[in-house]
Amino acid sequence: MLLSLNNINKSFGAIKVLNNVNIISERKECIGIIGPNGAGKSTLFKVISGNLKQDTGDIFFNNTNITNFNTEKRARLGISQSFQKNSLFPEMTVKESLTLALTHKYNVSFNIFNSLVNNKNINTDAINIAKDIGLSDYLETKSDNLAYGLQRQLELGIAIACNPTLLLLDEPTAGMSPQETKEIIKLIKKLSINYSIIIVEHDMEVIYELAKRIYVLDRGSLIFEGDSKSVKNSELVQQKYLGI
Amino acid sequence: MRAVNYNPKLRLQLLLILLSISIIANIFGSYFTRFFIAEITILSIFAISLDFIASRGGMVSLGHAMFLGIGAYSTAILSINYGISPLSSTLSTFIIGVVIGLIIGYFIVFLDGIFFIMVTLALGEMFNAWVFTSDFLGGSDGISGIIRPDFSQIGIDMNNPLTFSFYVILWLLGIYFLLTKITDAPLGRNLDAIRQNSHRISAIGGYTKAYKAIAFSLSAGIASIAGSLYVQLNGFISPELTHWTVSGEGLIMIIVGGIGSISGAILGATVVHIIQHELSNIINWWMLVIGFGFIFIVLFMEDGLWGLLERIQKKLK
Ligand SMILES: Nc1ncnc2c1ncn2[C@@H]1O[C@H](COP(=O)(O)OP(=O)(O)OP(=O)(O)O)[C@@H](O)[C@H]1O
Ligand SMILES: [Mg+2]
Repeated sequence: MLLSLNNINKSFGAIKVLNNVNIISERKECIGIIGPNGAGKSTLFKVISGNLKQDTGDIFFNNTNITNFNTEKRARLGISQSFQKNSLFPEMTVKESLTLALTHKYNVSFNIFNSLVNNKNINTDAINIAKDIGLSDYLETKSDNLAYGLQRQLELGIAIACNPTLLLLDEPTAGMSPQETKEIIKLIKKLSINYSIIIVEHDMEVIYELAKRIYVLDRGSLIFEGDSKSVKNSELVQQKYLGI
Repeated sequence: MRAVNYNPKLRLQLLLILLSISIIANIFGSYFTRFFIAEITILSIFAISLDFIASRGGMVSLGHAMFLGIGAYSTAILSINYGISPLSSTLSTFIIGVVIGLIIGYFIVFLDGIFFIMVTLALGEMFNAWVFTSDFLGGSDGISGIIRPDFSQIGIDMNNPLTFSFYVILWLLGIYFLLTKITDAPLGRNLDAIRQNSHRISAIGGYTKAYKAIAFSLSAGIASIAGSLYVQLNGFISPELTHWTVSGEGLIMIIVGGIGSISGAILGATVVHIIQHELSNIINWWMLVIGFGFIFIVLFMEDGLWGLLERIQKKLK
């Protein structure tokens, strides 16, 4: 078992956003989380990555109790997140952003004497990642000047670059064109061979394509868990979420 | 906080221009001109120390005059009370500044924006108050009798302002190249990224606070070198050097010059100091003029004089 969330509760003021959530993720498994707007999916991700602290409940990662670890520590253990709302370095180019993220994979972030531009491994990696995320033609473009869909791709690229064990992808394809979405699905599929992935998506095609197991979150509570077939066949889910 | 400027070409060009001017003026200038160049060069070192943390970690310090003071007083004490050579004093001063900067930095780098400014201001003022009342540091009289490095064995007379100016220019160049190196290295990139989006640096496993503490401590060490050279230039130290307005003037210099390019800080220090000097000779409300000039630059000139040069460079292409 790679990740286990035990009885997670989280409220914002009087609003209960996560209600006794239990989730287990195995190594190299791809899990999907779906649910209507405001169900608490992004909040759940932030609790896993340490950006938000839950009110009660424990989190175990790799047999370590990480409940009291901050974001940086969890990231170093291998939890990486691509955010629903882009979180980029606006003045850095695509290549600069990726090489920057790679300084953490290669543990050289404290280096003060060797120019990053001359680091062969990091630059080769950066170019490969850029190719994977479809940004090869934009290496020298500043993040701020990228179109929204391309920014989404970079958002994902930064999350991949720091070489995580567990990838949390919060609506990675939102705002992308159908063509771009297809490419990203292909990429995530490839990544899922080596990484554990938890993915939040509204696009059910993406979820069915990628996730082996799907959790359905509704107003903070998990109301269903199963594979894509059982989700498709569940009346409860259809009625609550898919609105059919 | 505005952009860090990765324009290494302009950075180097501007440095070379300023360097040539100061070398020529130094060779052909009067005694006073040479002294003035040394002063500007030392102020440039101070401005660079402020520029480095403002642009890399997003830290605006209004207490950096404290490190100027630490450099100045420790140089005075080391060379007068302990007989340590002036050059070794300056080097030791760097270490002292780095260590004190690291200790202070460790406790304050988690602060953001205005809180960081206020805490550095408060620390600087506490130091200033202490210096004024300390008998050991000479109180309001300060300390005098500080000597310059002695290179007479290799035939160089440092009491000649010509040679001393070149000496401080060498220090400036050394610091300049150290900082450009760090800027392009992973730590520098992470610091720049922290200014842009510290949240994401945490999310990818960066040691946000450690990077900032290192930057702050390095900046403190550099400011200490400036303080050390400053007392060697003047031969005495006055506690006024540690007043917060000195830090404020340093910040004005980097805003006028343009934050983040290193060379811009040197240009800013040069321009502001010359204007200050010239105006204070002619009119007694010169501070007002500087104030308005400053407001004009903040409101209408993005990235200060450096930004202007960048736009000119683009037009010329
Ligand atoms: N920092 C916050 N302070 C107060 N309320 C918040 C905060 N963050 C989220 N919420 C609320 O918590 C609820 C869950 O939000 P969350 O972003 O987790 O939903 P979501 O499932 O990701 O929705 P979406 O599909 O729209 O992204 C919402 O009602 C939201 O308004
Ligand atoms: Mg969300």
